Amino acid sequence: MPGWMTRGRLRIRALVRRHHDQELQDELQLHMKLLEDEYRAQGMTEAEAQAAARRQFGNATQIKEQSHDLFAFGFLDDLFRDLRFAARSLRKSPAFAAAAVLTLAIGIGGNTAMFSVIHGVLLRPLDYPDPDRLVFLARENPDEVTSGRFSLERLDEMRTAARSYTGLGAFLAHPEDVTFSGNGDPEVLTAARVSANFADILGVRPVLGRSFLAEEDTSGGPAVAMISAELWKRRFGADPSLAGKTAILNSTSYAIIGVLPAGFQFPFPAVDVWVTRPAESSNLEPTFRRCCSPLFGFARLKPGVTLQQARSELNVLNERYATAYPNKRVYAGPLRLTQLKDQLTENVSTMLWMLLGAVGFVLLIACANVASLLMARATSRSRELAMRTALGASRGRVIRQLLTESMVLAVAGGMLGLLLARFLFGVITSMTAFDLPRAEEIHIDGVVLGFTVALSIATGAMFGIVPALRAVRPSVVDMLRQSGAAGAGTFGKRGKLGVSTWGMLVVAQVALSMVLLVGAALMMKSLAQVASVDPGLQAAGLLTMRIPLPATRYDTFEKRAAFFDELVRRIETVPGVRGATVVRKLPTTLGRLGTNLQIQGQEIAEPGHLGIALQSITPGYFRVLGIPLKRGRELTARDNTSGAPPAVIINESFARRFWSAYPGGEDPVGKRIKVPILDVGPLEIVGVVGDVHERGLTRNTEPQFYIPQWLYPPNNAYLAVRTEQEPLRSVSAIRAEVRAVDRAQAVADIRTMDMILAASVGQQHLATWLLGLFAGTALLLAMVGIYGVLAYSVAQRTQEIGIRRALGAQASDILTNVMGHGLALALAGVALGIGGAFALTRIVTGLLFRTSPTDPATFAGIALLFIMVALAASYVPARRAATVDPMRALR
Amino acid sequence: MGHRKSGELLQGTLPLLILRVLVPEPNHGFAIARRIQQISKDVLRVEEGSLYPALHKMELEGWIASEWGLTENHRKAKYYKLTRTGRKQLKHETGRWDAIAGAIAAILQEA
Repeated sequence: MPGWMTRGRLRIRALVRRHHDQELQDELQLHMKLLEDEYRAQGMTEAEAQAAARRQFGNATQIKEQSHDLFAFGFLDDLFRDLRFAARSLRKSPAFAAAAVLTLAIGIGGNTAMFSVIHGVLLRPLDYPDPDRLVFLARENPDEVTSGRFSLERLDEMRTAARSYTGLGAFLAHPEDVTFSGNGDPEVLTAARVSANFADILGVRPVLGRSFLAEEDTSGGPAVAMISAELWKRRFGADPSLAGKTAILNSTSYAIIGVLPAGFQFPFPAVDVWVTRPAESSNLEPTFRRCCSPLFGFARLKPGVTLQQARSELNVLNERYATAYPNKRVYAGPLRLTQLKDQLTENVSTMLWMLLGAVGFVLLIACANVASLLMARATSRSRELAMRTALGASRGRVIRQLLTESMVLAVAGGMLGLLLARFLFGVITSMTAFDLPRAEEIHIDGVVLGFTVALSIATGAMFGIVPALRAVRPSVVDMLRQSGAAGAGTFGKRGKLGVSTWGMLVVAQVALSMVLLVGAALMMKSLAQVASVDPGLQAAGLLTMRIPLPATRYDTFEKRAAFFDELVRRIETVPGVRGATVVRKLPTTLGRLGTNLQIQGQEIAEPGHLGIALQSITPGYFRVLGIPLKRGRELTARDNTSGAPPAVIINESFARRFWSAYPGGEDPVGKRIKVPILDVGPLEIVGVVGDVHERGLTRNTEPQFYIPQWLYPPNNAYLAVRTEQEPLRSVSAIRAEVRAVDRAQAVADIRTMDMILAASVGQQHLATWLLGLFAGTALLLAMVGIYGVLAYSVAQRTQEIGIRRALGAQASDILTNVMGHGLALALAGVALGIGGAFALTRIVTGLLFRTSPTDPATFAGIALLFIMVALAASYVPARRAATVDPMRALR
Repeated sequence: MGHRKSGELLQGTLPLLILRVLVPEPNHGFAIARRIQQISKDVLRVEEGSLYPALHKMELEGWIASEWGLTENHRKAKYYKLTRTGRKQLKHETGRWDAIAGAIAAILQEA
């Protein structure tokens, strides 16, 4: 027993003993005194009486020892004896112990890591007071374009009528880039537009200053901003006085009134600046603010109001709204209420639960494996156990001792697993591709540790109990009577259903890993489907970077347009560059600008509901990105000259949206569109280009139109350069050109187009990768399980096989027999696994792209794979059985 | 102490005797030992080394309960008294003892 264990044991014992000892001492003392009295009464002297009493009394220490054993120490001593014994017996079979501990560590470690992620992201309450009362408001059945947002008009109506909330707020659905200046170099920051009551609703107090006042939320009210603790430190040196501090955001001066706590993440992660008036999106013309501002709502339920009650009230308001506005409007449709926490994690919760389920399966399989290892051990130890029983150990005592051994294994596995989890968990959280919300809240804390401990104990009990019960099942006499090797042969004994416990374990293993593999295969198939999607452009050989122009220096359209024109012109002269272009947003990057427009001849009363994506480009865009021109012509340098007749290019989705017969029917080319936010007359459609998956490869394409950038030059644009060589090798040359145009201009996010597209499906990739890892582990464990059970069975049946051989069975018969056994187990497992997978893969439907969760080919393929694996795993033991020498076996 | 050998208790009978001795009144260890000795006319002697472990075991089993009190000479002593389960146990053990004693007697007579 290690030193710490001995010391621990002694300490526990000492504590319990102290009180007990005192009482015992008193009791025995009295006895001695009374004995002395007796002797004195018989006429002895004081000293003689004392000596006689002591002699008669005998060994007091021995009495104490016996008494100790009776009380709690008996239990403790048993426990420590069991532990010592377990440690000794495990040390004697290091290979078994290592295999078991490692298998368990993988299972427990994986579960701990996944649980710590789920605990931090999904389970822990939000870090606001009374977080359960925080709710989120969005429209039901969000479509691709508006994704559940609703308008200011709707918000105002809710605010007037709803009675369920202590506060109802809203935020602009997307963060905005703002150029921050004053106090040093200008920089591009992330701003959130929120209603003035947002901090009150959340229950967050600014660490400095105050939060917004109601009058600061009205249109034309004072320009005030709150800033993040990080920005406060970085730009204001954490100055405790905010008096007179201002920030110039996009050339408007804002008074800084408060600093939010560090790590505050509402409504988006990494916001630097919060301003009021959520509807005043800089992308939206003032006239459309009421009808068409893209908002999400959030609120705090009044005390005593349940989510259910708030929902019923909302239903009434929804109906009232539908009656009041019978014409389908922008953002029409009922609103729905969810817990704020659920909304934040909506995108990842299915995936995370699925991964936890998967890793849970791995643990179950690991348990089954260790259980069969233990059974093999218990069988070969049956004589030892029978001996212990014969010497007076009760069944319970033997079971307890075997379970202690399992617990030692489980706890060792748990400890190693915790180390593994720390590593895994670091890997998972550092993978930005996961894009986990609340990622900074993931820690290995007390709850996670508690989970690991509980899991280890449950695991120990789970894999330990069956082998322990089996080990004490046969009667003592039976066991002792049988001789060594043959006596071990309880394996293969069939239960009532004709299936051995062991076989059932293997079947369960195969079934579980089959479910995992089917899941992983479906995810892989789905990824392959994603990869086969034509993004609509030639991604290879494209270098991209983001160029955020500070609004202070580039305060007019002309300055921005001139910068980008000059930049493109210069870059196109760099050797090795085939072409360059500037665009507002590259495909799959966030922050589309949806706008309203009217087609001449197709006027509609309310333009806002269109929300068609606008892109500003320099003329070479389609050529550089490799987007095919379907009709008409591309934009030319002339189109991109200030004052030129405004030209526009639409994509095919756009064409289909407004000319339903496209590509037949009326030709869109030559038609005119009016775009209210553009300060020019109607634009003429000069060409139609192919669709690009702007919102990610798994999303549908949507209507989009491209205008020459001089009409609406972005202040935060992407540069795309098609290069002859490996794109990233041109970075320094291109940066030099940027600096040549404007020495102070920085670039950001240097990536190839391939990287951008890959990042857009990063989450699926990672989930698939992890699931594949789990499934692979499961397959390996199941394979070891099949191998183990057959190898053991062959070893046990050596005599029987020898007799068969002696009686004329061919080697091939034996081979078939053993492999048949393996195959039978595998087939049973596969059948169960297909059933399980059929029931469970439906859960991942939402994660699959163009792949049915019950895809027959996948199911068949994995089933076949398992049968092959089973055959391969059975072959080695079968081969060994077939080569059994009858003479040696019989001897 | 030549008679001690014969005075040794048959295994398992000590609890029975203790239970029986405690029927009239609660008592402490020394007194219990003396009562057994007295009633059996010095045939049965209870050794201290068996008495106390037996008392503690019986207390754990719940047959007897203990509390601290004072002897007539005002000494602090641990008094044991029968519990309800103890009484049941006494009945059970007495029955068992009678059966065994009867069986042994029968064998002795037959053989």
